[in-house]
Amino acid sequence: MIEQREKYSDLIKSLPNPGLGLGLRSKHFNYILENNPEVDWFEVISENFMDSGGRPRHVLRQLAERYPVVMHGVSLSIGSTDPLNKEYLTKLKLLAEEVKPLWISDHLCWTGVNSLNTHDLLPVVLNEESLKHICNRINQVQDFLERPVVFENPSTYLTFKQSTIHEYGFLRYMTEETGCGLLLDVNNVYVSGFNNDFDPVHYIHQLPHDRIVQMHIAGHQHCGTHIIDTHDRQVVKDVWNLFSLAWQLTGGVATLLEWDGNIPEFDVYHNELLKAKQHMSSILVVDQVTETQEHGEEAVSNPVDFLVNDVVVN
Amino acid sequence: MESNIFSLKQLQNWMQGMLVHHEPLENGNAEVPVMVEHVVNSSERLSAVKHLDIYRYSYIARLRACMQSQFSALAYALGSELFELFADQYLDTYPSESYTLNTLGEKFPAFLEETRLDASQEEKETWPDFMIELAGFEYALSVIFDERANENNTVTPNNTPDELLKPAPVLHLFHYQYPICDYYLEFSQGKEPELPFPEESYCAVTRHNYKLGLFTIRGAQYYFLKSMQQGNTVENAKNDLIKTFNFARIELDKIWPEWKKSFIEAGFFVAKNVKGP
Repeated sequence: MIEQREKYSDLIKSLPNPGLGLGLRSKHFNYILENNPEVDWFEVISENFMDSGGRPRHVLRQLAERYPVVMHGVSLSIGSTDPLNKEYLTKLKLLAEEVKPLWISDHLCWTGVNSLNTHDLLPVVLNEESLKHICNRINQVQDFLERPVVFENPSTYLTFKQSTIHEYGFLRYMTEETGCGLLLDVNNVYVSGFNNDFDPVHYIHQLPHDRIVQMHIAGHQHCGTHIIDTHDRQVVKDVWNLFSLAWQLTGGVATLLEWDGNIPEFDVYHNELLKAKQHMSSILVVDQVTETQEHGEEAVSNPVDFLVNDVVVN
Repeated sequence: MESNIFSLKQLQNWMQGMLVHHEPLENGNAEVPVMVEHVVNSSERLSAVKHLDIYRYSYIARLRACMQSQFSALAYALGSELFELFADQYLDTYPSESYTLNTLGEKFPAFLEETRLDASQEEKETWPDFMIELAGFEYALSVIFDERANENNTVTPNNTPDELLKPAPVLHLFHYQYPICDYYLEFSQGKEPELPFPEESYCAVTRHNYKLGLFTIRGAQYYFLKSMQQGNTVENAKNDLIKTFNFARIELDKIWPEWKKSFIEAGFFVAKNVKGP
């Protein structure tokens, strides 16, 4: 077990930094295939492709020949008390064999119990019982996939009274106990910090930086009393500042911009990503989007309707 | 109250119950109902209940948006308010059990049938029939769009001998009591079709270069193509039509070149010697 953990840990530390990447969205399929834009790499949502026998899989095959690809999942449900879904894991492994991703990632969350899937990234209780449960499942998943898995800190909108460990500590223990890697979503840290009264700067300082292989950045909606992780707009100044800090602390890792709602044209999406270059040093020369508040009931966390296939009719 | 009232499993059951069923299914070890405040922390700006409400609101809104994407023509036909009502009831009755959202609406057409208000009445309204057929068609399109099949990328020559013709790998045939295909096509072209009157209709759906082709066909063509899908040759399928519908052989032979040309151009057929056995 210890040998395996060290093997996974070494593999995580040896992963490359492919640069600045974008999420593959069906709206941009044609543009990418026709124009071969100069994007360093693409992140694909695993569940969108693992069952596909049609256009999504066809596009992915072509994309994987041209660009490095990372597989990012939303349904592993590593924190659930349900048994691991072997059918899902088998399909995930088969897809990885075909796509040959740089790495496979998912979230520190649970998505449902009793065989239901809420399709949300629900918060885990952060205590010793939960840590043991999750580490045990990470070991099983990694051994099944025969590779380390990378886990992302989710946006959270509540904390449990039963939690006894801070999230950054929980993530650190996870990496130490299993050899897994981390995907640091700096926007999620900002969102969770505001919602749950913690300092995002302190959080980022406390993480095991040598286990972070990727970062996410994204836009969010500030509702005054709370922030919703909407992935539907530009990245705000405070999140860029956190990115800049994380970039310095990690020494620079693969970075991806998420944009899942109100998805803009490809060049707008790409240009927002390229702003990251100006935040890799401490000298800022870019106009930054400042936070504005939008009150209303319409904001939805983790939008997923982009995950439903866009049927293309001739 | 003691905060460690739940085991890990109980806590997840409790939270999921609050999201999906609007009430807790598990009550931990407590003898009285567990209050949200006993499980969830409040923060500087929000109460415990408000924190949980963010998840509760997002759960239904998120999946409703997915239903809207999967059944966009139906949502237009019903109007957003009525569609949301049906979608919410559906998600309440059949919460997702799959890791993929592509199957979220799988039971929706059956749900609409089960819950139609006139289910127990002898004389039925007609509009629910249209909505149920449209829902079934839209879900079928999403399945066909992503189904595994040997993609037909080859061009079948118009002069391919009849005995070498076979149905394309992706060819699905539909028979409806309403002009479903025409309605869907109008909607997908950005038009604003009106609720149609009952009118028996037939349509064929193909996939070429991973894009769907939708074609309204005649009843006789539908039965002819069905016959070929059952393994019959062109000749046997013609004989089926003659026998079943009392077609005059001479009339069928006269119209066949036109059918053949349009079927090949629409991608209903591939040539046996070009693609597969």
